[in-house]
Amino acid sequence: MARVRLENITKRYGEETAVDDISLEVEDGEFVTFVGPSGCGKSTTMETVAGLTQPTEGRVYIGDDEVTDLAPKDRGVAMVFQNIALFPHMDVYENISFGLRLRKYDDEEVRRRVEEAADIVQLEGMLDRMPSEMSGGQQQRVGIARAIVRNPDVFLMDEPLANLDAKLRVHMRTELQRLHRELDATVIYVTHDQAEAMTMSNRIAVLNDGRLQQIAAPLTCYNEPTNLFVAGFIGSPSMNFVEGTLVEDGLETNNFTVGLDPSRLSGVGVGDPVTLGVRPEDVHLTRYADSLTDSTDRIEARTDVLEPMGDEVFVYLLLSEAAAGSMEQDPATSPNQLLMSVTPDTEIEAGEDVDVVLDRSKIHLFETASGDALLHGLTDRSGQEPGTTPTEADT
Amino acid sequence: MSDPRDTTDPSGIDESGADPPRDPTLRRPDGGTPASGSDDASILKDGRDAELDRGPFQQWVADSIENPDRVYRAMFYVAAVFFLFTTLFPFYWLLMVALTPEGQLQNIVFTPNGFNPGAFVEVFQVIPFHVYMFNSFVIALASTAVVLVVASLAGYAFGRLEFPGRTPLMLLVLVISFFPPAAFFIPLNDLFNTSFFFLEPITGDGTLYNTPFALVTPLSAIFMPLAIFILTTFYGQIPDGLEDAARVEGTTRLGALFRVIIPLSAPGVATAGVLTFIATYNEFFFSFLMTDGQPENWAPILDGILAYQGQYQVLYHLMAAASILGVIPVAILVVIAQEKIVSGLTAGALKE
Repeated sequence: MARVRLENITKRYGEETAVDDISLEVEDGEFVTFVGPSGCGKSTTMETVAGLTQPTEGRVYIGDDEVTDLAPKDRGVAMVFQNIALFPHMDVYENISFGLRLRKYDDEEVRRRVEEAADIVQLEGMLDRMPSEMSGGQQQRVGIARAIVRNPDVFLMDEPLANLDAKLRVHMRTELQRLHRELDATVIYVTHDQAEAMTMSNRIAVLNDGRLQQIAAPLTCYNEPTNLFVAGFIGSPSMNFVEGTLVEDGLETNNFTVGLDPSRLSGVGVGDPVTLGVRPEDVHLTRYADSLTDSTDRIEARTDVLEPMGDEVFVYLLLSEAAAGSMEQDPATSPNQLLMSVTPDTEIEAGEDVDVVLDRSKIHLFETASGDALLHGLTDRSGQEPGTTPTEADT
Repeated sequence: MSDPRDTTDPSGIDESGADPPRDPTLRRPDGGTPASGSDDASILKDGRDAELDRGPFQQWVADSIENPDRVYRAMFYVAAVFFLFTTLFPFYWLLMVALTPEGQLQNIVFTPNGFNPGAFVEVFQVIPFHVYMFNSFVIALASTAVVLVVASLAGYAFGRLEFPGRTPLMLLVLVISFFPPAAFFIPLNDLFNTSFFFLEPITGDGTLYNTPFALVTPLSAIFMPLAIFILTTFYGQIPDGLEDAARVEGTTRLGALFRVIIPLSAPGVATAGVLTFIATYNEFFFSFLMTDGQPENWAPILDGILAYQGQYQVLYHLMAAASILGVIPVAILVVIAQEKIVSGLTAGALKE
C-alpha cells in the first residue's frame, strides 16, 4: 500500500485542456473518489496515475517514487474498468492469473493466490468459466479479483459499477467498501454518480472542467461546498440557488429578503450580486417550523408539483406569479422557484398557497461572479462564528 | 406485352389512341367511362381473361414479374454452373492429361487416352519435384510469417494509435501497393546479384540471388499492403479497455498486441495469412526470375514444372501431374483455414 501524490498534473489534447493543473495527495489506505460530470477530466486524471496517459505537465508519485515516466506495468497499480475489460479469450482463472503469469510466479503460488482472490470476491467454483458465460456482476467480480490478486500498492477503479443494473450496483457498492476495509488498500475511484462518491469514500475530489474544485470528506463537501459547482453537484436533488443583491441589512432577492450583516462577508460589499443556496431539506413549511431555532422571515409561495418518493416528498414551490407556467425552469437555478423536501405525512397538496421559511443555519452564500463560497450558515451565534472554513459546528 | 392494369384507368382508353385495346374482354363494350365502379372492378379482378392471348414466352415473362425470385434463382444456377465449369474443368482436363500415357497426348477432351496413374510417381523420379515443393512451401511460409509480423505492427499503429500523418502514411502504403511488381524487378535483381561482404557467412558469395531471401523479401513486400489493411481494420475494433487492462496487468504495448489483440483478431490474422500464403505460393514473376531454376538453389514449384520441358521433348503428362500435386497443399490449407476462420468468427464474441 502506498500514498499517491499528483503534482500540477496538466493534460492537453491539442488545444483542448482535459486536466488543468491538478495537485492532490491520497493517503496510504485511503479511499478517494474523483467525481464530476462527464468530460470533467476525472478519468484522464486517473489514467495519468495508471500510466495509460502521459501528463503534458506535472509529476505523479506513488509511495516515495516518481512514476511519471514509468510504464503502467511497473507502477504497482491495478485497475478495474468501466467496461470490465475481461479478456474474452481466456477463462476466469486465466483472466485473474494473467498478471501473475506475466510476472513468472510459479504455478503453485499462482493457483494459491487466484483461489484466495476468488474467495474474497465469492467466485469459488467459477474459475473455469468463460467471461461470456457470466452475468455482469460476476464479470465485474472477476475484474476486481484480477486487480486484488497481484496485491498492488494502489487500486484504480474507473466507474466499475456504471455498467451494472441499479440493484446490483448498490450491492457491489457495499462489497467494494467491505473489500476496502479487508484489504486496507489505497483506492482511487472514479464516478459521475455523487451518491456512490458520498457513500463509499473517505474523501471526495470534485472535478469540473479539468480543475479540482474541492477535495474533502463527503459531509464536508455536502455541508461546506467551496463553490457553486460543488454545492450544485453534491446532493440529490440539487441545492436551490437564488440570485440576489447584497443590501445594507441583508440579501435581497426577487421574492424575499434574508437578514444579514454584509460586513461578515469578505470580498463583497453592498450592491454586489450574491447567490443564496439552500438544500431542499432546509426549506420548511412555516406551520412545521417551530423546532427551528433560527429561521428566515416567511416566504409566500404556491405549491406546483408534488413528487412523492416514498420516504420523502419533493415539493416544487413557485415564489411569484411570474414563475407559474414556466415549465422549463429548474428550481435549482430559477430565482422564482424553490424545491422543498418534506416528510410523507405532511398535509400538502398541489396548487396550495403556503408559507415557507429557510433554516438560516443551513443557508450558503456564494459570490455570483466567481462562484466561490462566502459563508456557510447565517446563524449569528457568539463564539461560534461560522466562516468560509468553519469546523463541523453547523452540521 | 399487355399489362392488364392499363385498364384500371378508364380515361387512358380514350387518350392512348396509338395503342388500341387488344383484348376485348377487358374492355367495356362502349369503351367509355364505367357506369358503376363495382362492374368495372369485377372485370379487372378476373386475371384469367388476360392470359388468354399470351404466348409461352410472354407467360414466362409475366410470371417472372410476378415472382422475381424465380429469375434470381435461375440466374444463380446459370452463373454457378458457369463459374464451376471454368474453374474446375481445367483441373479435370489436367487430370486427364496426367493420366494419359506418354506419346498419346492428342485429342484429349473428356477422357484420357489410356490410363497411367504412374505419372504421379514418375514426376518425383524424373526430377526431384519434392524439393521444388519444399522450396515453395518454405518461401511461402516465410513470406507469410514476415508479412504477418510486420503487418501486425503496422496494423497496430494504424488501427490503434493516434499520430500525426497517419492517414497520409496509410495512403502511401495504398499507393505503393498499386505499383506493378515488375517495376521493381530490375533494381531488385541488380541488388540481389550484388555481393555484400556481411552476407558472405550466410550465402557464401555474398549475394542474395539463389537464396530464399531473394524471393521472400520482394514477395512479402508486395503482399504486405493488403495484410496491413486487413489487420488495421481488425485491430482497430478491439476495445481500448482490453489493451489498457493488459498493460496495467503487466504487458508492454507489444505484449498486449501479441497476448490480447492478436488472439482476439484471430479471424483477421487467419484471413491475412491465408491470402498471403496463397498469393506467394502462386506467384509467378519473381519466382521465375530470382533463382536459376535449380532445386538446390531454392527454385520454387514453377521451375519444377518447367523442368519437364527438355531440349528434345516436353513431358506434358508429367507437367500436368506435377501441377495437380502442386495445388494440393494450397487446397488443403484453404479447407482447414476456412473452418478456422468461421470458428474464429463465432467464438470471438467480444463484449463491450
